Amino acid sequence: MVSMKKLVKKNNQIKVPSDLDYLAEVDKFVEQKLKKTTLNKSQLADIAISVTEAVTNAMLHGNKKDPHKEVTIDVEVKPKEIVITIQDQGNGFDPDKVPNPTQGDLIKVAGRGVFIYKTLMDKVEFFIKPHQGTTVKMVKEIKPETK
Amino acid sequence: MKLSSREVKGVIILEPKGKIMGGPDSTLLHDQFHDLVQQNKKKIIVDLSKVEWMNSTGLGILISGLTTLKNNQGELKLANVTDKIQSLLAITKLVTVFESFDSVDEAVASFK
Repeated sequence: MVSMKKLVKKNNQIKVPSDLDYLAEVDKFVEQKLKKTTLNKSQLADIAISVTEAVTNAMLHGNKKDPHKEVTIDVEVKPKEIVITIQDQGNGFDPDKVPNPTQGDLIKVAGRGVFIYKTLMDKVEFFIKPHQGTTVKMVKEIKPETK
Repeated sequence: MKLSSREVKGVIILEPKGKIMGGPDSTLLHDQFHDLVQQNKKKIIVDLSKVEWMNSTGLGILISGLTTLKNNQGELKLANVTDKIQSLLAITKLVTVFESFDSVDEAVASFK
């Protein structure tokens, strides 16, 4: 029998089960990794928000909250940019088919995650292999602003 | 996220503190809206001064609260919206949905 997944941290990577209870741990991990950068409060918040959006989607839509599937988050601090990848074990999705939440019914409760992180991050790429999971790669440039 | 509340002139002021990102803490705020309506408390202000940031789940909880109150002839308003949350409301066009005030006092005064 495949055992339920647990939280695993190793170097710049954290793996969590597909359970929203682990969002706070992911946030804490990312915050810790970015502590020594020169990103200002607003930039740090943009990254934190974007990561939680992508991880939530990975858990709910990618892995369908399957406790046997995990979400892997990698945080890479480069001299001029932060690169974060979020990978699930789901069936993939078409990011071009995600509706724009600013059109139509504004008071729907969900559906803003992808739009928000595409807006807050400087670059977002999707790597999708049908039935082999989705990887979202998001980049935030470290601009020469003081904290 | 922690949640406290107080009442001023018949208006309930909810004071979440921390980050609203989803998970068990966020259901606290979501459930509070329903509980208050059950208690016939239908004038609600969410004071966001101590919310570091929220993501779309947090926005969804506020929208759900707004809808719940409206469906029960109540009102939900926001106060002390921080810059980060204000920018989120702007980019998602939710600035047109929520009534916001610069202070709790102004928000309280706006209830008829």
